[in-house]
Amino acid sequence: MQILIYILKRILQTIPLLILVSLISFFIIRLSPVDPLAELKLNPSISKETLQKETQRLGLDKPIYVQYVLWAKAFVKGDLGVCSTGERVGAKLKERIPNTLLLTTLVIFLTWIVGVPLGILAAINWKTPLDRMLTVLTSIGMAIPSFFFAILLLIFAVKTGWFPVGGLTSYNFSDMGLAGKIWDLTKHLILPTTVLFTISLAGLQRQMRGNLLDVLDSEYVKFARAKGLSEFKVIYKHALRNAINPLITLLGFEFASLLSGAALTEFVFQYPGLGRLILEAVLKSDINLVMASLMMGAIMLILGNLLADILLIITDPRIRVKT
Amino acid sequence: MKKSLYVALIIFLVVFWLKACVNVDVQEETTLKSAQKNEQKINFPPTAKTKTIDGIDYLQSQAQVGKFGGVLVSSVIGEGPKTFNPFNTKDATSAAMADLMFDGLLTTQPQTGDVITKLAKSFEISPDGKVYTIKLRHGIKWSDEKPITADDVVFTWNKIILAGLGNTSTRDSVIIEGQLPKVEKIDDYTVKFTLIKPFAPFLRILAAPIAPKHVFEPAVKKGAKYFDSFLSTTSKPEDFITSGAFKLKEYVPAQRVIFERNPNYYEINLKNEKLPYLDKIIYLIVGDLNNEILKFEAKELDVISLRGSNVGRYKAQEVKSDFVIYNIGPDTGTMFVAINMNNRKNEKGKFYIAPKKQVWFNDKNFRYAIDWALDRQAMVNNVANGLATPLFTAESLNSIYLNKNLAKGHPKNIQRAKEYLKKSGFYWKNKVLYDKSGNRVEFDLYTNAGNTEREAIGVMVKQDLEDLGMKVNFKPVEFNSLVNKLVNSYDWDMVIMGLTGAPLEPHNGKNVWYSNGSLHLFNQRPSDDKSQRLDWETKLDKIMDEASLKIKFEDRKKLYDQYQQIIYDEKPIIYLYSPVRVVAIRKKFGNIYPSTLSGVAYNLDEIYIK
Repeated sequence: MQILIYILKRILQTIPLLILVSLISFFIIRLSPVDPLAELKLNPSISKETLQKETQRLGLDKPIYVQYVLWAKAFVKGDLGVCSTGERVGAKLKERIPNTLLLTTLVIFLTWIVGVPLGILAAINWKTPLDRMLTVLTSIGMAIPSFFFAILLLIFAVKTGWFPVGGLTSYNFSDMGLAGKIWDLTKHLILPTTVLFTISLAGLQRQMRGNLLDVLDSEYVKFARAKGLSEFKVIYKHALRNAINPLITLLGFEFASLLSGAALTEFVFQYPGLGRLILEAVLKSDINLVMASLMMGAIMLILGNLLADILLIITDPRIRVKT
Repeated sequence: MKKSLYVALIIFLVVFWLKACVNVDVQEETTLKSAQKNEQKINFPPTAKTKTIDGIDYLQSQAQVGKFGGVLVSSVIGEGPKTFNPFNTKDATSAAMADLMFDGLLTTQPQTGDVITKLAKSFEISPDGKVYTIKLRHGIKWSDEKPITADDVVFTWNKIILAGLGNTSTRDSVIIEGQLPKVEKIDDYTVKFTLIKPFAPFLRILAAPIAPKHVFEPAVKKGAKYFDSFLSTTSKPEDFITSGAFKLKEYVPAQRVIFERNPNYYEINLKNEKLPYLDKIIYLIVGDLNNEILKFEAKELDVISLRGSNVGRYKAQEVKSDFVIYNIGPDTGTMFVAINMNNRKNEKGKFYIAPKKQVWFNDKNFRYAIDWALDRQAMVNNVANGLATPLFTAESLNSIYLNKNLAKGHPKNIQRAKEYLKKSGFYWKNKVLYDKSGNRVEFDLYTNAGNTEREAIGVMVKQDLEDLGMKVNFKPVEFNSLVNKLVNSYDWDMVIMGLTGAPLEPHNGKNVWYSNGSLHLFNQRPSDDKSQRLDWETKLDKIMDEASLKIKFEDRKKLYDQYQQIIYDEKPIIYLYSPVRVVAIRKKFGNIYPSTLSGVAYNLDEIYIK
């Protein structure tokens, strides 16, 4: 019951936050000198009448605050409006969200499956060659800029011909059988996943290692060891439980990055996800599309934090007592 | 010991990658020269003719007979098509895809630029130039077996184009003295277009796509708002009833568009077999040029437009590779410096341009000095890697109306430039230029930031003009801000820009040349402005009007020669160069006839795999 009230409170708190986020984003976009019709204006074959019609259709002839109120009204009703090309924003996002989710969930899953054990391994074998080697590898992973790594891998794909150059599916995808489709997807996903995996693995592994080392150094672990508990029990039953808490907060952030975390890599690999769509929308000042994506990002971040907090309440009795 | 092992490992990795990058660029210099040579001679096949078999008026391709089957993979840069409705397109990608599916009555001969028939069997213009009579082909069908008749044509024109649905640019361009053309059905296969005055560009406007009435009529009835989203990218491929060689098969957002052959297409080959040869045309949607290059190298693409430094590299590989490179000559693009000659005040009573600058920019000698000081050949060599041609005319070099006397132009001559300045009383003190009132000559030169080509040109223009003692503040600004300066606030001195020319119809440049045009850059006026026109602006207005009234090519050519002469003499816009188009296409394709007017893979109906 207490938890439910807490959740409700948190959700209510987000409403003013969302209004503020939408206000700031809307006005920043509209006040920037980006003109959605700039390209049309420089096209000698587009007539004045067409330009006027476009201005009206996009609502650019109204004052900014009216534009905002119109947008906000529709947004509350769940209508995301139309893009500057006339397509529905909702439909456009729906096309891309599954692709991005496929990539990001795969990456997050892999990172956690590999990163957490590697972190534990490094902490247990502290200052041994294994730990050092892992440190070097993760340093490299953290140091390489994602776009650079992505380009290197693309060149690798071209030179060897082992992997397709970007994209998500081959052109004859729809004619393939199920096994063929899965194989085709896998081939396309390997490189972008590698990039994102390498980079987020580094952070997670180090976080896990650091946390566990801190905990291993604490009094109660020493006590547990002195009590004569087996090393296995000391680490996995007592130390690990306490070391995992900060990672749950991290998981909350990972949740937020589900939809927006891979934009750069998506762009380099020409991955048909949200990243490319939104980049173009920003460049063309496609206000409804940009606003939808920004609001989506904000909501995901809030949700992620909420989720992490709830998980913490469940896993950590100390927090439960305080609330 | 261990440390040195790590170091060795890292060095090895770095060297490994570097090697992969370095060994490719060796032969570039020598091979680039051969790529810059004049375009190859192409033996075009004769123009397609009408052939009647069993009462059906087929279009018969005169190109070599090929083999059926296969796929051609091409690419589009950007985010892909925005719509497949040919009447709603506002960008080149969408237009190209819609054109593939919906044929027009007429089209352009790729080699000569003449108007030839497509859906129409023949066309006739009355001697007074006001009545266009179009005869349609008998017995040809839409992809759903329904016949293509005069009803479709009349419906398309009266209910879609002239009714102002979708992109109204076609409608706006056929309004003559406030009147729209009259479109009437004479019989099932004859349509008559009547204008109130002769209007030469109308013939090419008849190349506008024709819609199937039975599919479009319900959508048109639902109103303009519905029409805007009709046949959008979210429509099902089955909804497309087309007349063109191909029809939509699948659209995967941000990945590709697939077209399949239209079995009812009305074109046949010399053996009377139904075209097209290819089963599918695939356009991969690639986000940027680099990715396109990589995809071509990985053999995922069959054809690619090459730019700049890539040409040399590809030329070096061509001999050993499975592709062939065509230099198809100057592009329709033009690169130029425009000078703001605006000497009016804005509504607040302030001058758009500082009065001392107005004096310079409205001084013909000043503009001539700039023209003679610019080293176009150096720009071609250094900025465009030699893959461009110096440009001196307002029409692009592949225009059928090009004024050939002017096209040769002149080399840079700094001495001559200085003489022009002296004539107007400019003088130098310590190599710094002052005007006759003692003002230091200093102005801003703009271009859009992020366009590396224009930025490089800007640097070269700045250097050339500084040789004259001028102080040039080169300011690349964000594209949208630049457009705003050009079309709204008019507060710029000089700008480096490029526009796409219309090599077949100079009248399409009317927004630039008419003194009240919306892109009359060098002397832009608000649309309701009635201020004094310069003499030669009035002359230009008259020439553009007159040339649109003449029907005969020779008469129009004379007038358009004059207009180019005026721009050349007055130099409100100083042209720099036209890029040359270079394309690479796999050798396996037959019936490839690259043309400077149409590109390389325009005849998708005739291309086959050897």
